[in-house]
Amino acid sequence: VSGASGRVRGGTSTPHQRYARIGWIFTAPALLVVAGVTLFPIVYSAAMSFSHVTVTANGFRLSGATTGNYTTLLESGRWRHALLFTVLYTIGTVLVETVLGMLVALVLERLTAGRGWMMALLLLPWAMITVVSGELWAYIYNGVYGVFTALWHGVFGTTVNVLGTPLPAILAMSFADVWKTTPFVAVIVLAGLLMLPGDVVEAARIDGAGAWTVFWRVRLPLLGPTLTVAVLFRVLQAFGIFDLPFVLTGGGPGNATESLALLGWRAMFQDLRFGPGAAVATSTAVLVLIGCLVFLRAFRSQVGDDEVTV
Amino acid sequence: VTGATLSPPPRRPRHPLRRALHWTNLAALLVALFAAAPLYWMAVSSFKGPKEIGSPPTVVPRDSTTANYSDAFSHYHFGTYLANSAIVSVAATLVVLVLGTLAGYALGRLPVRGSGAIMTALLMISLFPAIALAAPLYLLMRDIGWLNSEQGLALAYAAFNLPFAIWILRNYFRSVPREMEEVAWVDGASPLRTVVSVILPQALPGLFTAGIFTFTACWTEFLMALTLNNADDYRTTAVGIALFGSQYTVPYGTIFAAATVAMLPVGLLVLAFRRTVVSGLTAGAVKG
Repeated sequence: VSGASGRVRGGTSTPHQRYARIGWIFTAPALLVVAGVTLFPIVYSAAMSFSHVTVTANGFRLSGATTGNYTTLLESGRWRHALLFTVLYTIGTVLVETVLGMLVALVLERLTAGRGWMMALLLLPWAMITVVSGELWAYIYNGVYGVFTALWHGVFGTTVNVLGTPLPAILAMSFADVWKTTPFVAVIVLAGLLMLPGDVVEAARIDGAGAWTVFWRVRLPLLGPTLTVAVLFRVLQAFGIFDLPFVLTGGGPGNATESLALLGWRAMFQDLRFGPGAAVATSTAVLVLIGCLVFLRAFRSQVGDDEVTV
Repeated sequence: VTGATLSPPPRRPRHPLRRALHWTNLAALLVALFAAAPLYWMAVSSFKGPKEIGSPPTVVPRDSTTANYSDAFSHYHFGTYLANSAIVSVAATLVVLVLGTLAGYALGRLPVRGSGAIMTALLMISLFPAIALAAPLYLLMRDIGWLNSEQGLALAYAAFNLPFAIWILRNYFRSVPREMEEVAWVDGASPLRTVVSVILPQALPGLFTAGIFTFTACWTEFLMALTLNNADDYRTTAVGIALFGSQYTVPYGTIFAAATVAMLPVGLLVLAFRRTVVSGLTAGAVKG
């Protein structure tokens, strides 16, 4: 038996083919797991959003095609608000986090002592369970005994209930988000900064470029790919935001902080309106996909098109 | 991190105090305070009694108590939640590291046709919002009887985190000198043996980074855990903490005690591997 298989492997195929086959054997398990758990559900979700969904005793079943779920969506002020909120929230927080993250990374880069400890401290908010940070900020913002409320009273002499009014609630939630994820951006940018070729920067300095010019004309362009990936990851994470409004504001006051993910989840798992819920989920995924395609070039430059040969 | 050692231009020696008060150090101090203050507030509030936690804030607890901690474990089932999180996160991380190492090696080093396209597709899949998968996965897990189970959630987490891990490992494997594995091949070592005994030791920082990222993502995940494991016996830490208390009362003391405990494993991991995380990212975030 071993002789036969040995002859097939060793005799008729070149080493190149053999390594290619091994490559597929090594890749297949991971691809199967990813495809099974994500690809099938994505397709199913899309099908569900175009179907009449009937809730049954033990779940739901699909009966007949329709575009009604999307009509419901487009006519719903709540969905339009969730879309607007999610888009503005994403743009706002990612912008602030990127600029702040850059600044923090530049500071850390120049730090002569304790950089490792700073890094560890910065990774702690990132490693925190988002639900926990939601509870923590809800306590901080609490209108009666929150420390923010007390500080505000100390400075301005008035009482304030941040989470009770729409715009302040949105800003408060953004601040909690900035606190938690700026460190992540900073650490990635710092990693990128440390990788920059020192000789290029040095050459620019010798040519008489000031710190400002070196930063804008030399280092920032070199940092481009790293920054793009960090921003992309943040944009797509922020676009799917769920945990923070679920705990911090419950989507309120009213529906002021209800994100697309929260709306979709509530429609499906609280109101059992699976059709419209699937439409929310699928349209969110499509928007993400469009975002991905726009950034595909950035991905390409990161991944590299060169395929490996032996 | 080798690129870090940029030799500073020679400067006049300055007074130690002036050097300590240099603006970068002050800015770093501000950043540290900004990051640490809410964490301090969480930890300190976990030692406050129910009366003090519901009154105007005090910087240091008047009467420290550990009642919140015992409450979390006795009155609520926080021990069960911790155990569930640990089982699911460790299992998912192990699966990710084993499958991710094989796939990362193949995509980075072996002549797999279309490996660049596969990598791009994997990364794009990993960026899909979890909400798009929630209902179908719920259905799928229900049909195979894996709702409210450790293995169902672990499988989902493994799939979500594999792409990023493969990406990091692939970039790391590419930075390992090729001569070493060629020697192993010439010596007749099987591909699996080559990966385990020659490539893996060189790529250890990448492995740590992928492991820490996966573990942290699993430990903190909420949406899927809430959807798939809703029964009290199978709740993870995040879901358990979110569902402490009722609609009318929020037991903040207990929540912060539980949160402080939940912070420990990930916090210690980050502290222990702080340099590895960054050096692993350096290879992972930038084209290898």
